[in-house]
Amino acid sequence: MSDIRDRVMAVYCTGAALVLVTGLFTIIGFLVIRGYGVLDATLVFGDVPVVDALLLKRQVFNGLFPAITGTLALIILAMGLALPLGLASGIYLAEYAGRRTKWIFSLMVDILAGIPSIVVGLFGFSITVFLHNVFPGRIFPCLMISGVALAFLVLPYIIKTTQAALEAIPGATRLTALSLGASGLENLVYVLIPTCLSDIVAGVVLAIGRCAEDTAVIMLTGVVATAGVPTSLFAGFQALPFYIYYTASEYAGPSELNSAYGAALILLGICTGLFVLAHWIRLRVGRRMGIPG
Amino acid sequence: METKNRESRTKIKIRDLWFSYGKRSILENISLDIPAHTITSVTGPSGQGKSSFLMVLNRLWPEIDGARARGEVNIDFGDGFEDINRSGADLARIRRRVGMVFQAPDPLPMSIFQNVAFPLKLLPKTRRKISRDALFSKVASALKQAFLWEEVKDRLDDDAALLSGGQQQRLCIARALVLNPGILLLDEPTSSLDEDAVHRVEQLLLELKKDKTIILVSHYTDQVKRIADQGLVLRNRRLVGHGS
Repeated sequence: MSDIRDRVMAVYCTGAALVLVTGLFTIIGFLVIRGYGVLDATLVFGDVPVVDALLLKRQVFNGLFPAITGTLALIILAMGLALPLGLASGIYLAEYAGRRTKWIFSLMVDILAGIPSIVVGLFGFSITVFLHNVFPGRIFPCLMISGVALAFLVLPYIIKTTQAALEAIPGATRLTALSLGASGLENLVYVLIPTCLSDIVAGVVLAIGRCAEDTAVIMLTGVVATAGVPTSLFAGFQALPFYIYYTASEYAGPSELNSAYGAALILLGICTGLFVLAHWIRLRVGRRMGIPG
Repeated sequence: METKNRESRTKIKIRDLWFSYGKRSILENISLDIPAHTITSVTGPSGQGKSSFLMVLNRLWPEIDGARARGEVNIDFGDGFEDINRSGADLARIRRRVGMVFQAPDPLPMSIFQNVAFPLKLLPKTRRKISRDALFSKVASALKQAFLWEEVKDRLDDDAALLSGGQQQRLCIARALVLNPGILLLDEPTSSLDEDAVHRVEQLLLELKKDKTIILVSHYTDQVKRIADQGLVLRNRRLVGHGS
């Protein structure tokens, strides 16, 4: 009987994994089929020469270049704000917080994780309105406010994965370096974080993906359809997810819709590139700490 | 005669030691002397505080939630007895001088070389500055002492986690030896080793006791008989046996 149960379980789990992989390849395949044909320099740079666009000599009005730079700037800004805060908070909860503080703080992080992105967007919008009233004519929806709102959105991912990864380390591993004369900080830096670096990076990758794809937050806090390449933290910006949403909902013909698929492919490529970069950094950091790849 | 005097010198003096985890008492009223350059075995049924006893001697217990020790644990590090259990004691210094090997092999998430070199990197800045050659020499020496050099000399940069259980345990012994501690605490160090490796570790301990004081928790009566100079038996939280 237990043998049959084992088999059913194995078949069910394998089936679930297959459905997932099939779904993933179907989505990617569909995107490639629809978007590959339009992927060229014109899609990205329009009729502006590539060098001129890259050197910001001429503005690109009919290509994705501003949206790509806007998306990258947004991810870098949001992650730049969320990473130090999230990692430090996760470490605090796992290593330093007392039982009661940990319970209260964890509850707050869970609540934060459950807030829909549109609500975070509305919060960002409220902040914008407040700042606009405090500094009339100087603060508008912009890259900075979108970055802060997105950082707020992805903080729980980073905090929870860091906390869970550190708390999963066995007690014996925690004592090893201490027994050799390491301080608490040395133990954290040389042993605990390297031990769970892969898990922490998994959380960071998840957060990067969320920053790259979220549309609700940026729609209310700074993204515009024709802002051009962002030149300041306090300027409006374009972003790929908004372009995809906007084009898919208001396209005038098949070629315009296909450009949205092209944009989706580029967004997928940016995410993949950033994931690879995150894992490369993990390997580099690991090697510097003496952890073989 | 000189050897006799050397052996009879007391290295550790424990007086009225009590140890508990929260409200659970683990050790009560332990008082004993441990001579230098001997192997002292600690035996007794499971859960009687043998590992906790070692953690007191390495002053590792403050790292465990709810652990508390009171009483005197005087150790002669060469400049007179020092109570390592007093508040304000330099924990890092004590732990560097009292090496510890745990029951389960616990390689750090580093290469084989880095694992053994790790304690040297923790030394205060003034003592940490050694040349690459000197560092390599110290690591190689520790690995040779632990009978592991021949097996790993060609793959020192490999992940330590790739070693077999027995190799990992000998790596942990090498790591404890690299700082040349005067006291070595071993918590069932041969429990995951094969017969040949057990024999090698026992020979190593007999060799090491010439200039170290060794305290060995072991479940193996034969092993205790083979290598221990004196034995401690812990039962019902108390020291019920102490002698040669």
